[in-house]
Amino acid sequence: MSAAIIFVLLACLMLTGMPVSISLGLTVLIFLFGFTEVPLESVALKLFTGIEKFEIMAIPFFILAGNFLTHGGVARRMIEFATSVVGHLRGGLGMSSVFACALFAAVSGSSPATVVAIGSIMLPAMVRAGYPKAFGVGVVASAGGLGILIPPSIVMVMYAVSTNSSIGALFMAGVIPGLLLALFLGFTTWFRAKQGDYPRERRRSWTERLGAFRKSVWGLLLIVVVMGGIYSGLFTPTEAAAMSAVYAFFIAVFVYKDLRMADVPKVLLNSANMSAMLLYIITNAVLFSFILTNEQIPQGIAQWLLDSGIGMVGFLIAVNVLLLVMGNFMEPSSIILITAPILFPIAMKLGIDPIHFGVMITVNMEIGMITPPVGLNLYVASGISKMGLTDTTKAVWPWLLSMLVFLVLITYVPQISIWLPRTLGMM
Amino acid sequence: MKYLDHLEEWFITFLMGAATLIIFVSVLHRYASGFAIPGVQDWLIRIDVSWAQELCIIMFVWMAKFGAAYGVRTGIHVGVDVLINHLSDRNRGKFIVFGLLAGATFTGIVGALGAHFVWENGAHYSIYKFLGLEMGDLYEGPITPDLEWPTWIVYSAIPLGSSLMCFRFLQVMANFLRTGSLPHHDHGHVDGIDEDEGLAVDANPYNMDDNLHPQDIAHHHRGDGESK
Repeated sequence: MSAAIIFVLLACLMLTGMPVSISLGLTVLIFLFGFTEVPLESVALKLFTGIEKFEIMAIPFFILAGNFLTHGGVARRMIEFATSVVGHLRGGLGMSSVFACALFAAVSGSSPATVVAIGSIMLPAMVRAGYPKAFGVGVVASAGGLGILIPPSIVMVMYAVSTNSSIGALFMAGVIPGLLLALFLGFTTWFRAKQGDYPRERRRSWTERLGAFRKSVWGLLLIVVVMGGIYSGLFTPTEAAAMSAVYAFFIAVFVYKDLRMADVPKVLLNSANMSAMLLYIITNAVLFSFILTNEQIPQGIAQWLLDSGIGMVGFLIAVNVLLLVMGNFMEPSSIILITAPILFPIAMKLGIDPIHFGVMITVNMEIGMITPPVGLNLYVASGISKMGLTDTTKAVWPWLLSMLVFLVLITYVPQISIWLPRTLGMM
Repeated sequence: MKYLDHLEEWFITFLMGAATLIIFVSVLHRYASGFAIPGVQDWLIRIDVSWAQELCIIMFVWMAKFGAAYGVRTGIHVGVDVLINHLSDRNRGKFIVFGLLAGATFTGIVGALGAHFVWENGAHYSIYKFLGLEMGDLYEGPITPDLEWPTWIVYSAIPLGSSLMCFRFLQVMANFLRTGSLPHHDHGHVDGIDEDEGLAVDANPYNMDDNLHPQDIAHHHRGDGESK
């Protein structure tokens, strides 16, 4: 009963268009005030202690690191390197876009930023080279989604925080699926290019490749700092995030010189703005999951599901459908913070690996980014290509299809996700 | 008002930068003090940075509270606006005002609760003590584990930040009622792209109809006839 009240209340408040964080908080206040005896003072304390965890602080640091490096210059160097490696294949510029997105994803934890950074350079180039616009838009919008699967990933930190999973293991688990998805998208691109007989670039010599690699390597080393630092035990994930932020600052200001010292405060302010928004959702989501636990709702739903005889296979289908539907209306962080406290205990009871579950959820979020009406990547791609939203949506379908196939693969073959972290002894 | 705006921006910028530096220095310190350089090592070991983690958390919590208030002003908070964006301007306006009022109400209540909590957990004691008033059996309040600061000072981020946020919601609402425009945030913004390239970037940072933010009345959107 209380579960119904809470969720109906939350849905109603959210649909009025108020910020997600406020609807979560108000739901808690109304419920506590109207239906329970829990003292309201405990809410105020929770508001502070909710984010009093060192792991959560990885989020602002990763955002800061990403913002230092998501500058035009870094993207251009990565595109040059990508083109020198895969540009000679059929549909060369499309293939390069996918590869460049994968590289850029390794410095940025955000999908829309990846789409803008790669897309605003690659789209005009593709149109000039005679590719249909829809092809370019489809490639960039879908490959931009790699941003949240390839570490560092804000979405994964959110999942780790709300389920007490290991950030390091999750990041490591994202590596193989990320590369695999890049292959999937690359194959789709190649296939479409072959069908349409799109042009290719001239083959580059190994010297040129090496030169392009040298130029882009400083940005790519960020991921080495993060993953190497966490894996070797030099840093905790949060420390690794802070180190990567300092590294990114150093590279942007002193090595690439894309950023003037005078711009640094602006980058700090923008990062603080974005982080504060996410931390504020987390704060209120902690409150929300506090009343859920207080009312024993996750346990109730888990019991009900187990009694109904739903197996692991059925449960995973249900989760995928639920997340894909929610992905049409909300952005990834909010979805994870709201659903993880409910879905996670059930998944554990069914014997699903927490890391595998996290990767699966992340892939779902990625698909949500390219499906309307709330696909951030679609809006951004439509913005930079001046193509209508409906046409953009149609343009991504071949890649959307291959992502759905990929999702099924990730869902039912947990080894893809957990092999690497397990082999490295991280879980 | 301008003064408050600048102070707010300056404050969260400072917190962001300082927290990063603190963690960076504490990690460096941890490894540097491992090297056996005569003199330097002893000196490094004597400097205690065990409080770095706690200070970082406190700084980020303050940043989160004040940044959330700043975020209201920049329109960064995301919501589910699919439904109301399909309504007529008039009706959408009502929902927007309702949403902003709800935000103000929530942050107002939290601010009040937080103030009460802080007052009961040490502020009352400290202020009376400072003023030399009769303290009776007032509660002194707990202190933080590493820095040993009174928690009430740390926790006052809630009432202060929340009240500021409440004020910002009301400010945005007043502005919306007057001009029909809302602050907008562009989630796909990448520095250095729009300026240098100047190519196909028509992604007007203030015109992202992404259904995560309410569309306001003053702007026109793609699909509403001709985009500018």
